[in-house]
Amino acid sequence: MKLKQYSGIGLAFVAATGLLFAGCVKKTTVGGSPPVSIEKSSAITPAGATTNGVSTTNSVSTVQEPSSHSVYFAFDRSELDEPARGILNANAAWLKAHSGTSITVEGNCDERGSREYNLALGQRRADSVRDYLVKRGVSASSIDTVSFGEERPVCHGTGEACWAQNRHADIVVR
Amino acid sequence: MNKAICSTSTDGQFAYGFIGVVVGLVYLTMLLPCVAQAAKFEIFQSEYQPLKLAWMVDAPSEDANAEHLIRNVVRHDLESSQSFVTLDPLSFFVTAKQTEKHINYGDWRIIGADILAIARLHRTDDNWKADVEVLDPFRGKVLLQTTLDYSGSDLRPLAHQISNNIYHASTGIAGYFNSHILYVRKHGDRADLIYMDQDGANKQVVGRNFTLLLSPDWSPDNRLVALNTYVGNRPRLETFNLSNGKRSTFGAFPGLNSTPAWSPDGRFIAATLSFTGNTEIHIFDTSTRTWRQLTHNPGINTTPTWSPDGKWIAFTSNRSGSPQIYRIRIRDGHVQRISTLGSYNTSPAWSPAGDRIALITRKGWEYALATMRLDGSDIRYLVTGGPVESPAWSPNAQMLLFSKEVKGMRRVYRVPSWGGKVKAITAPDEDASYPAWSH
Repeated sequence: MKLKQYSGIGLAFVAATGLLFAGCVKKTTVGGSPPVSIEKSSAITPAGATTNGVSTTNSVSTVQEPSSHSVYFAFDRSELDEPARGILNANAAWLKAHSGTSITVEGNCDERGSREYNLALGQRRADSVRDYLVKRGVSASSIDTVSFGEERPVCHGTGEACWAQNRHADIVVR
Repeated sequence: MNKAICSTSTDGQFAYGFIGVVVGLVYLTMLLPCVAQAAKFEIFQSEYQPLKLAWMVDAPSEDANAEHLIRNVVRHDLESSQSFVTLDPLSFFVTAKQTEKHINYGDWRIIGADILAIARLHRTDDNWKADVEVLDPFRGKVLLQTTLDYSGSDLRPLAHQISNNIYHASTGIAGYFNSHILYVRKHGDRADLIYMDQDGANKQVVGRNFTLLLSPDWSPDNRLVALNTYVGNRPRLETFNLSNGKRSTFGAFPGLNSTPAWSPDGRFIAATLSFTGNTEIHIFDTSTRTWRQLTHNPGINTTPTWSPDGKWIAFTSNRSGSPQIYRIRIRDGHVQRISTLGSYNTSPAWSPAGDRIALITRKGWEYALATMRLDGSDIRYLVTGGPVESPAWSPNAQMLLFSKEVKGMRRVYRVPSWGGKVKAITAPDEDASYPAWSH
């Protein structure tokens, strides 16, 4: 069911690289939201669901599994940009349709700046995702947050291409 | 001075080297990095000239090994402080034994000894006595005459005690040679807590396989370490007992539980918590085991560090839009901004002498370890050239530890707080960070 909704390209892509790596590649190609492009390439959109996945009335079976569970940030910022809000809208819709689901939002930072400050910054990123999801109707009690600061980089190396991948918050189902 | 700056910045050399080759002026590859670096951070160097030290040990012939060890450990202690240089014993006119009855100050003035220090060792079984004399040949003055008693087969602690006496008699500042250093060795997501003497001897793993280990801080009695670790992907604040390895949780709130810092009297631990919805500094009372919130600001407020009188806490806050150093008076919550230069200032560490705060500051994408006065003035850049982090003071405020990353590996270094040479104290083949110096 979930797989059907991805295009052939998206399917092969996700299958080959996994979600995290898909997040990285998306970053470098579409300025932070490759899953969005994959989602758009999906021709079939269930009735009642918009392309960005926002839906308040769909049953479980008609809400799309979000194409991405990760949002990205600018250096030393925790505000959500337009692509991030799109991804979170899709996640909020899915979570509301699966109301028993508990999630952890994990905030991360790139290696620049102090480790302790980045720990706090990662928490702000996780918190801003949580606050947005709650605003979109997700139950606050189902959301846990944690920051790993710069301690768990997805991309090991230096340069903006790498750092951009490390400034993210992920929604992880518990 | 430029030499020191150049040697710390291989990145800069590489970047400018490329330009140099392109324009065909190869010699520029030698010159440009120095100019460019100096324009960013002018490395502070004091006018201080190290004292020239004549250092002698005398012991009965059967204790030649002890004599050798004491001589070397003390010499290394005092030289590594960069406050002394030791004179070559071959230049001495007399032996330690010959000075027992009479000291001719002229013998020592002639070779330029600012300080003459002599230790005479006596032993009964494992009980040692060290008669220590510290003299100023130019003023013809005895600075110290004392006898140290010591029991034990490992003589390093006795040597460090002799170093402390010579250092204090010569400079008027307490020595730190009996102190210890902790740091974190990270491997993957796991981390070990490493303990060693301040000179790197007796290195041992005291805590193994933490899931992340951040911001260790010694209790004032040096028996416990407060730290931030993760259990099942959730951060917590723990104390770690250095003598028995016992871990005890004192903070496990939703969200952040980070950057613990003991108060100078050992009763309180300040830390960063975010359960209120904002990232604030809170204070844990170890006797009542209760928390109270100290800062009240919607921005990030983190990395508390106590003034030595326990009345203030300096911390990092981005309330102005970028991270800067502030201080808050604990009694009434009065807040003052301290750092004024630069757009990114973090990691404050209040000097145990009280008069300065160490910090990490950024210009462009260049980071520096610096110290400043409590009003942010008289900033002294001590180290630059790469990601530097986590300043930690020696107990006498004369030396700073920090970590610096080179090619993805961090290493712990030390540098005199008054400017001087940077020396690595951990090996290049381990990821070493978060140094903490005992009290």
